[in-house]
Amino acid sequence: MGMTKDILYNKLAKISGSKNVSNDTKELEEYSEDMSFISGKRPNLIVWPSKAQHVEAILKLANNSNFSVIPVSSSSRYRHHGDTIPKKNNSIILNLSKMNKVLSISRKNRVVMVEPGVTFEDLIPKLKKKGVRLLIPLHPTSNKSVLSSALEREPITIPRYHWDSSDPLLCTEVIFGTGDLFRTGTAAGPGTLKQQKRSGQNQINPMGPTQFSPFRVIQGAQGSLGVVTWATIKLELLPSIQKVFHLQSQNIQDLLDFQFELLKNRLCDELLILNNLNLACLIKNTEQDIYELSNSLKKWNLIFIITGRGMLANEKISYLEGDINEIKNKLDLNLTSKNNIEDQEIIRVLSEPALKPWKMKLKGSYQEIFFLTSFERISEFISLVETKISQNLGIYIQPINQGTSYHCEFDLFYDSQDGTGVKRLKELFIDTSKDLISLGAFFNRPYGDWAEDVYKSLDDSIIMALKKVKKIFDPNNILNPGVLCFD
Amino acid sequence: MKEEEYQQMIKRCLRCSICKWIPQLQIKSQKYATACPAIDMYNFHPYSGGGKIILALALETGRIKFSEELRDIVYKCTACGSCDVSCKFLNTLEPLEIIMKLREKLVDAGYGPMPEQQHYIKSVKINNNPYNESHRNRLDWLPNDVKIDSEAKILYYVGCTSSYRRREMAVAAARIMNAAGVPFNILTDEEFCCGSPILRTGDTKTFEELLNKNINVIESKGIETVVFSCAGCYDTFKVDYLLYKAYKFRVLHTVEFFNELIDNGQIKLTHEVPLTVTYHDPCHLGRNAERYEEWRGDIVDLMPLISINVPPKPKRTGSKGVYEPPRNILKKIPGLKFVEMERIREYSYCCGAGAGVKSAFPEFALKTAKTRIIEAEDTGADTLTSACPFCSTNLQDGIEESGSSLKFYDINELIIKALGLKLYVLKDTKPEVA
Amino acid sequence: MVLKKEILNQFEAIVGSDNVNDGEVITNVYAYNWCMEIFNFMDGKEPSPFSDTPKAVILPAITEEVQKIVKLCNKYNITFKAQSTGLGPWNQPSTDNSIIVDLRRMNNIVKIDEKNLYAVIEPYVSGAQLQTEIMKYGLNCHMPGAGPQVSPLASATSMNGPGFTSPSTGHSARNVLAVEWVLPTGDILRLGSLGLKKNPDWYNGDGPGPSLRGIMRGWAGAKSGIGIFTQVAVKLFPYPCSTKFNVTGNSPNYNFDIPDFMRLYIIDCGSFKYLEKVFLRVEEEEISFICSHLSGFATMAIFANSIDNLMDKSSIGIMKVPIVILIAARTKREFDYKQKVLKMLLEELKLTNIIGTKYIPESIFYAEALRSNLGLHGFITTGGFQSTKGGCDTAAMCLRSTKSNIRLKKKYIKKGVIANDFGEGTWMSSYESGHFFHMESPTMFDQTNKNSVEGMAEYMEKSNELDLLKHLGAPFFVEGDKNHDFFGPYMMNYHIWLRKIKEEFDPNNIADSGFYISPNRNELEKRGK
Repeated sequence: MGMTKDILYNKLAKISGSKNVSNDTKELEEYSEDMSFISGKRPNLIVWPSKAQHVEAILKLANNSNFSVIPVSSSSRYRHHGDTIPKKNNSIILNLSKMNKVLSISRKNRVVMVEPGVTFEDLIPKLKKKGVRLLIPLHPTSNKSVLSSALEREPITIPRYHWDSSDPLLCTEVIFGTGDLFRTGTAAGPGTLKQQKRSGQNQINPMGPTQFSPFRVIQGAQGSLGVVTWATIKLELLPSIQKVFHLQSQNIQDLLDFQFELLKNRLCDELLILNNLNLACLIKNTEQDIYELSNSLKKWNLIFIITGRGMLANEKISYLEGDINEIKNKLDLNLTSKNNIEDQEIIRVLSEPALKPWKMKLKGSYQEIFFLTSFERISEFISLVETKISQNLGIYIQPINQGTSYHCEFDLFYDSQDGTGVKRLKELFIDTSKDLISLGAFFNRPYGDWAEDVYKSLDDSIIMALKKVKKIFDPNNILNPGVLCFD
Repeated sequence: MKEEEYQQMIKRCLRCSICKWIPQLQIKSQKYATACPAIDMYNFHPYSGGGKIILALALETGRIKFSEELRDIVYKCTACGSCDVSCKFLNTLEPLEIIMKLREKLVDAGYGPMPEQQHYIKSVKINNNPYNESHRNRLDWLPNDVKIDSEAKILYYVGCTSSYRRREMAVAAARIMNAAGVPFNILTDEEFCCGSPILRTGDTKTFEELLNKNINVIESKGIETVVFSCAGCYDTFKVDYLLYKAYKFRVLHTVEFFNELIDNGQIKLTHEVPLTVTYHDPCHLGRNAERYEEWRGDIVDLMPLISINVPPKPKRTGSKGVYEPPRNILKKIPGLKFVEMERIREYSYCCGAGAGVKSAFPEFALKTAKTRIIEAEDTGADTLTSACPFCSTNLQDGIEESGSSLKFYDINELIIKALGLKLYVLKDTKPEVA
Repeated sequence: MVLKKEILNQFEAIVGSDNVNDGEVITNVYAYNWCMEIFNFMDGKEPSPFSDTPKAVILPAITEEVQKIVKLCNKYNITFKAQSTGLGPWNQPSTDNSIIVDLRRMNNIVKIDEKNLYAVIEPYVSGAQLQTEIMKYGLNCHMPGAGPQVSPLASATSMNGPGFTSPSTGHSARNVLAVEWVLPTGDILRLGSLGLKKNPDWYNGDGPGPSLRGIMRGWAGAKSGIGIFTQVAVKLFPYPCSTKFNVTGNSPNYNFDIPDFMRLYIIDCGSFKYLEKVFLRVEEEEISFICSHLSGFATMAIFANSIDNLMDKSSIGIMKVPIVILIAARTKREFDYKQKVLKMLLEELKLTNIIGTKYIPESIFYAEALRSNLGLHGFITTGGFQSTKGGCDTAAMCLRSTKSNIRLKKKYIKKGVIANDFGEGTWMSSYESGHFFHMESPTMFDQTNKNSVEGMAEYMEKSNELDLLKHLGAPFFVEGDKNHDFFGPYMMNYHIWLRKIKEEFDPNNIADSGFYISPNRNELEKRGK
């Protein structure tokens, strides 16, 4: 290290204020682990910047003084991908939770500008008041950072609004690993944000500036290329009527075939498939209730919602339903539509955040294996995982990007107090992940230990190209070293 | 095309590549979307209609000189006019006329026509046909039992290709007119090449000599209607001759004439022809057989840079070609099932033979024909038909070369079958075409 | 500059002697392009429609041939410029040390994946070709505004991306999944799930981790400046109505069996302020297949196929601020709903649809709308046009851009160097049901008239300056060193980052930088170039 901890502490305090730097051992310890199986190093310090200029200064300091910076968007206890655990010594945590302003909401332009510390529980009610809604992942945790969720390309539950894989992320203000501030998309200008506002802009075109789109490069980078200090996020209008459909089948293929028609014709909003256990976990709160509901459901559950808005809301619902029934009749599938679950419950989990991760409800702990694949291979991967993991397995299939691929997620529920169980589960987690990777499951979000196997499964040219990108935006590798393929 | 217009137009190609495709609204599949046999064969942009316009500009601006390379590109083109149709959907350029003008300039500069084409032009000058056949043998196609009426006001103009190479077509046409009780005459030793294969090479001087001779002969006989079974001769008389010299007689292709005769009951199609047939629109009967309309309007400047034609200037777009008569005929033949290819009418794909290509670039002609054969096969037809002896020859070459099981009949031969008459069968196995 | 024989032989060995040409005739034809005269004049050269002549033109048929060509270019320090359908000056080499890689022979539709709603295409598949094949599955694609005769691959990877159907089919850049990309070094990069060694597939183009699609292009593509794209997977969309596409009659006055459940609305919004309101209200309802603002003059043009018959559409021409909305539906109930919505909106906004009363379009318009053939109508007045501006963000910004352009444009109209559209000539389209909007100002000029070309060039430059001054977003054609160095300092110095990308991905500066960016000269010198 180029300087002592004390000197660094003082420098950081000078930048962010002494109240916003910590060297408390207990606090530091919390950042050396998370809910994943990944172990890491303890950081030296935590700093809470409150503005972009602080971040700039910190990153410039890091470049000059040779320490690494791990960006963390929130103070959530529920981080679970290992991406914010320092992999190397001599690091600091850059906790952005104090940058928590909702900078602007525009109902007219259907966009919100948020700082990284803005959480789902902060934002959703504010948007509701304005008649707009976020495109959210499945029942996110309340204190999860909205911006971070978009940066991680977490799958959203309304595929027809998922026009591009990068949605709902639009423009960003980012400090690259070099310490340089940049704004992406139309936020780059010409003009300051104020000037852009005067000319009627709202930072909603994410592409550019000109012939590159750096926002795409920062997305999915696990904080290793830049630190985003605000982002604009796409919104949609709040529906006035929502009609819930819950179809069940023992045969997932029937549901897949049916949802394909809904997707293709853009007939519904929320659209997802869950196995009985995962659906029960979402709805119920205790282990007993979860199992009870799960046992009452068929194995596979297709949930979709059709919506209407405004004066012709009912007419819209009516035509959508008519078209959907026509499809159902044409396909002649054996699907149960008995409702074991109240519509309002389904709407609640699909539009509101959870106080704590819903996957914790069953056994207290969970691990997730998720990847992307194509329509045809979903069943194949489900079989593989079910062969290896027969119990306490939640499955979630989410069509994304307007149905061009599918997020496949396997949630492994376990009791962290059960030492033997944990050990076994860890082996299963690793084994199953490796098998999936080797069979072509596309782990496009390669957290933690996945990264090594994932990048080995790819052409070398991708790694070379990504390394070039790293060289451009973070040549001294000060941002979250050890993640992805950069080391 | 006037020189002034040429000089202006060659500067206006947008390089949009529309000329490489059939009209965008008519594209029905990926496979049959292209329009231009030349660029389909040779791939480099200069081979397209727009590419040749740019060639003309490059030549005029001194960027390139006359050369064999230039000549070859310009002549590797059947002058089918497909680029012209596609371009004119929205544009006012004249790609085909520019290509023909460019050929004239190559001829004037001593680079054109192609050596093989010069060979057949020489034959026309000596033998009145491009096939190096004796003029005396021009009537050898005529069977003894065909009735000719030397007083008739209808002349059947046979053409060189039907006379020497596709005799079955001439015989069929003649027998149909006999069966319909239509008196017709023929030019015995006074039928000369119409000049089409010469005009298309850019040798307008020789062409003009021929057309004058032909018009004089026909008019001297008091002919009122000239009927052609060759699309090339028909187009040349109908469209090109009028650009040089007016004449008084009416011109008809046999498909037009026989369609009328079928409609008025003079031809009775009574015999079943159990074939599934698809029809190839010859370029010279379809899109190119549209007359130029004289326009005596004014160009009115509406505002700087924008002028309009008052009245609107007619645009030759291929819309007035002969498309319905052959289809009507086929639909009226009992037992015949008619199916269409994807590229038809004014956007029909050329057979590959025209404008001297068959002589100068036989492999190009053949490859194009084979492409067309595949398209015909894809309709599910067992038979291909057309109304031009040049198309007939090249398409039959294509059938043979590709090993296709398609049958080929000229449309007049299908009428013969429907009349219950016997077809004339060629005794030669593979007649040579110039 | 002529290609050395030994180098030519090596190119011939890759593609066959029939597929390489370095002759004077062919290379000079490839030097010509639409609007080249404007760009030449902007570069201080004679306003000629010819660029530098390429040393040779090469036609590869497969990716491996492209790779070999690029490697050979690296070996002999020759730049390459790739093109497919090749419309526009962006296809031209910027030096005389360049070859053109014409991708015409790469014309396969590699895959139509109905269940995953994408198609994989090569560079020379045209939009119309793709559309006709995917219609068989009830699907549609996004067509670039330049027309159905151009390459969707080029639009997706290398060019721009707006289209008339953008409200329902988005923007080319946002419809890209996996890509096969020959880098300027000759390495092949396969993005996303295509990069898997086992079971590669086309459904995703991002990651793992960061998405290299962000390096590939931005609002605009790199125009061959960062390599050659040999295959791309593009997202598909539901075909908006019945796929029966029956065109009869003869060119150009075709008849079209208008599908059931299709209806056109042309509405005069009266003012730009009201246009913004109308645009946003309509698009929020998510009902339109096409939703564009065009000036009255341009709206006349989309219904005409010649300047002569444009003039009889005065009922449209007198509209002050028209909006063109086309709705289409697959079922009667969907159609009834959409019509109800528009009826309600028209009543609420006190607007009238002139279609069916003051004007009834020929049926062919609907065919052209479905096939996205409307953009080419921009050529019918003077035979030449080009767009200035090109900013994309909110409707408000687009309209401000339109308004601010009027005075500038009128100045050049008054000089008689561009055609008179009263300064209001604009095409503005909604994207993704009104989430964002772009505008551009199609401007008619005469490419054969020197004054007009020079005037147009000057107007384009002034228009760029205006965008900068009034913060109206970066126009389309901010490309090439001169423009990047000019705009960059006003836009976060993006040009420095873009240059770094060029340096990393094209260390030998082999991909023609003319419409992209050159590496830093110092950097080049450091590498001994």
